[in-house]
Amino acid sequence: MAARIQLPGRARRGEVIRVGILIQHPMETGYRLEVDGRKVPKNVIRSFACRYNGVEVFRAEMSPGIAANPFLQFHTVALDSGELEFSWVDDAGQPGSAREAIEVT
Amino acid sequence: MRRRSFLVVLLGLAFGARADPLLDPITKGAPVRQGRVKLEMPLLADNGNSVAMKVSVESPMTESDHVRAIHLVSERNPEARMASFHLGPRAGAAEITSRVRLAGSQRVVALAEMSDGSFWIGSASVVVTLSACVDEMLS
Amino acid sequence: MTTRREFLKVSAAGGLAFGFHLPAANAQSVAPEINAWVVVRPDDTVIIRYARSEMGQGSMTSAAQLVAEELECDWSKVRVEYADTNAHVRRKRAWGDMAAVGSRTIRQSQDYLRKAGAGAREMLIAAAAQGWNAPVAECTASNGLITHGPSGRKTSFGKVAGEAAKLAPPKEVTLKDPKDWKIAGKPIRRVDIPDIVAGRIRYGIDAQLPGMVYAAIAQCPVFGGKLKSVDAAKIEGRRGVIRVLPMEDYVAVVADNWWRAKEALKELPIEWSFGGNESASSESIQQFLRAGLDDPSNVVVARRDGELEQGLAGAAKVLEAEYFTPYLAHATLEPMGCTAVVKDGRVDVWTSTQNAEASHATAAATAGVPLENVYVHRVQLGGGFGRRGGSQDFVRQGVQIAKAMGSTPVKLLWTREEDTQHDFYRPLSLVRMKAGLDASGNPVAWYARVSAPSIISTLLKLPLKEGVDPQAVVSFADQPYAIPVVRVEYAQRNPHVPVGFWRTVGHSQNPFMRECFVDELASAAGKDPYEYRRGLLPAATKEHGVLEATAKAAGWAGPLPAGVHRGIAVTEAYGSYVAAVAELAVNDKNVVDIKRLVLGIDCGHVVNPDNVVAQMQGSAVFMLTAMFWGDITIKDGRVEQSNFHDYRMMRLREMPKVEVVLAPSGGFWGGVGEPGQAAIAPAICNALFAATGRRIRSLPLKNHGFEIA
Repeated sequence: MAARIQLPGRARRGEVIRVGILIQHPMETGYRLEVDGRKVPKNVIRSFACRYNGVEVFRAEMSPGIAANPFLQFHTVALDSGELEFSWVDDAGQPGSAREAIEVT
Repeated sequence: MRRRSFLVVLLGLAFGARADPLLDPITKGAPVRQGRVKLEMPLLADNGNSVAMKVSVESPMTESDHVRAIHLVSERNPEARMASFHLGPRAGAAEITSRVRLAGSQRVVALAEMSDGSFWIGSASVVVTLSACVDEMLS
Repeated sequence: MTTRREFLKVSAAGGLAFGFHLPAANAQSVAPEINAWVVVRPDDTVIIRYARSEMGQGSMTSAAQLVAEELECDWSKVRVEYADTNAHVRRKRAWGDMAAVGSRTIRQSQDYLRKAGAGAREMLIAAAAQGWNAPVAECTASNGLITHGPSGRKTSFGKVAGEAAKLAPPKEVTLKDPKDWKIAGKPIRRVDIPDIVAGRIRYGIDAQLPGMVYAAIAQCPVFGGKLKSVDAAKIEGRRGVIRVLPMEDYVAVVADNWWRAKEALKELPIEWSFGGNESASSESIQQFLRAGLDDPSNVVVARRDGELEQGLAGAAKVLEAEYFTPYLAHATLEPMGCTAVVKDGRVDVWTSTQNAEASHATAAATAGVPLENVYVHRVQLGGGFGRRGGSQDFVRQGVQIAKAMGSTPVKLLWTREEDTQHDFYRPLSLVRMKAGLDASGNPVAWYARVSAPSIISTLLKLPLKEGVDPQAVVSFADQPYAIPVVRVEYAQRNPHVPVGFWRTVGHSQNPFMRECFVDELASAAGKDPYEYRRGLLPAATKEHGVLEATAKAAGWAGPLPAGVHRGIAVTEAYGSYVAAVAELAVNDKNVVDIKRLVLGIDCGHVVNPDNVVAQMQGSAVFMLTAMFWGDITIKDGRVEQSNFHDYRMMRLREMPKVEVVLAPSGGFWGGVGEPGQAAIAPAICNALFAATGRRIRSLPLKNHGFEIA
């Protein structure tokens, strides 16, 4: 699953930075119909987490109430240089992940 | 009592515990207070598929005093709990932006769960103009 | 004397100057605003604000009558002004819902409009009393004057408006009993008629701005397709052509006049990526719907009273029939269009819309600007019929093109062909019905399965409760007859053809099917169709009441001239109750001569009787046109019809005499704009059966060889 991350490449220690991610996913509500009248099964990204150097700093549980191609912006305190890792799973069990480095001075 | 009328009752309260099937699964019946939570959504959305949402909670976000989670609750969507965002002192700021899907014009409630166990709410009303045609028949 | 193409001056505040009597779009009066709905000028002119759209249905006048009634103003001093959408947004939706859809303008707004009038009246009285140092209870208002009873002192609204505007609105007001109405309830002439007749009315299509350019568009002929490529070079050199704008799902040609834009577009080589539905046809779509009628799965239950199999098994006779209604186009006289200018982060839009708030939101989303930066200039519509409410595609396009043209104003106008072939059609519907009759001919079990698209799912993309689209099954799921076993099923089948709200929506087709089938039952039972229905409708129901009133007015039991036959039908629609009796003769060439059409309506309260009659007559024009000739057919994935030569409209000389029976029973507020259509088709088809012995189970009538006299 493709994802685009917004993250300042570098930050000062202790700075509160804004993190953004846009994931390509239909967030199927389960209310749409196939051509023959069958329901397109519900399939949304339910759980999403962001780990900063292995420590979870943000977690989200979502539903069909989050729009297709989910977009999330949250904040975290820049502590050390390293990596932010994003991971998620949808109802069909399909996992996704992305990562981006951050330099903290 | 229907979901929408429960929220109307709830939002009229400043303090006090009250049975609310919508928020109770989260609050476990604990009192819910108005304030500290700002939910920003547009007054009008042309359609309900992708509506901008920003929620921010006043909090120092320290180890001893922070927002544990923010829950978004819909009065009208088939699934009432739209999302739950789990924060903590490492967040630095309790502010989340996303885009939501609204099944018609409605009030959305943001429920913040604090580290001291207290609950605070803010809300926003959105009119989904295209669904106005059938709002009556689907409420 | 203003000419039709008069240059419209845009004031600094973004207002437009229209004729004196017309609602001045955006010219929000500065004179004392008593509340959002009532402005009173020092010269006693009363401006009543109207939030919804006026498209010939007359609600602008009726709404004003309701306000004026409680306000106790002088009607001759009333002017109606549109509420401005920009002010509406800045004032946190001060005017509430702006949608003129679902026959609900009056019934949804009557309470708050009357309260606004009453509240303003109380504030004016309080201001006068204050000025006289007299008790409020000793003062009354009437015809724009306030009188202090004991002393006889008088003043006019205009003189105290300034002070009244400073007062707090009353927390509670008492509304008049409709039986005491002096302005509401009266056949007052519509406020916009003088300007319509004199040609001063401004529609969306009339917008003119300095430096304006014109756009014509072409959308993919096969629904769901996308634009692949255009060869702009082939037309760029043509006289007047300014730009060729390829967009995702359409291409626009912009020129210095619309004719040149349209002609250039015709010569533009366009390649479409059709999207996969190029082989769809009316036949394949019918097959698809038919499969829905027989499919044991992918179907939901909309109503289940008792057990159907048992009910049918116990019946003395079982009848079964399939009914069909086709796709229909809106065919508004004014084609879709939108004039827009995007400049310095501000968007101005002129468009014929049934929901100015929706146009406002669409313009903001399309241009990517905050709601506060959008100005929707209010105009009358050259026809709405549901096309201009739930879809704002023309606004999206107009603003997209304007944005691409920098800060140059652009008038987008669709051709008639584009309008006919890119509509959001009244859905087609295939319905199977079964009924079991007992030995006396009364129905003991009734079944209907509807196989049809869902507007709510596909156009509005809203979830359906338990999969049931209330509009698709209306009149079946809520059928009023006393039948112990009822089962209604819905198989949602969405062909690639876009569907939308066509005047009267589900009630434009389902009552036809139901009431014709009820007639089949009456026939099998050997009973008079009127008496049969009367026997099955509980006496206390409104259906019973309006059916009786209409049959009585039509002289149902009386003799008819030789060769003339009758048909009857009754139904609820939009909170009102309607019935129709048709009297007609058919000659050996199948030419149908409708001698008389009697239409009855119980809408609870009647605000303007003249207008209700006009709406019923207009409904007759619209429905007769549709039922005789309306048929949108599909070939190679595209709509075959394009203009009025192959999508025929009724002619003046073909219009039969329509008698309207107003039977308001009070105590509720029903809609008026759409219900009028609902009982007409079955009444006519039931009369055709009486005349010819042929049961008509599908429309239009031309497909059965019938023509109108």
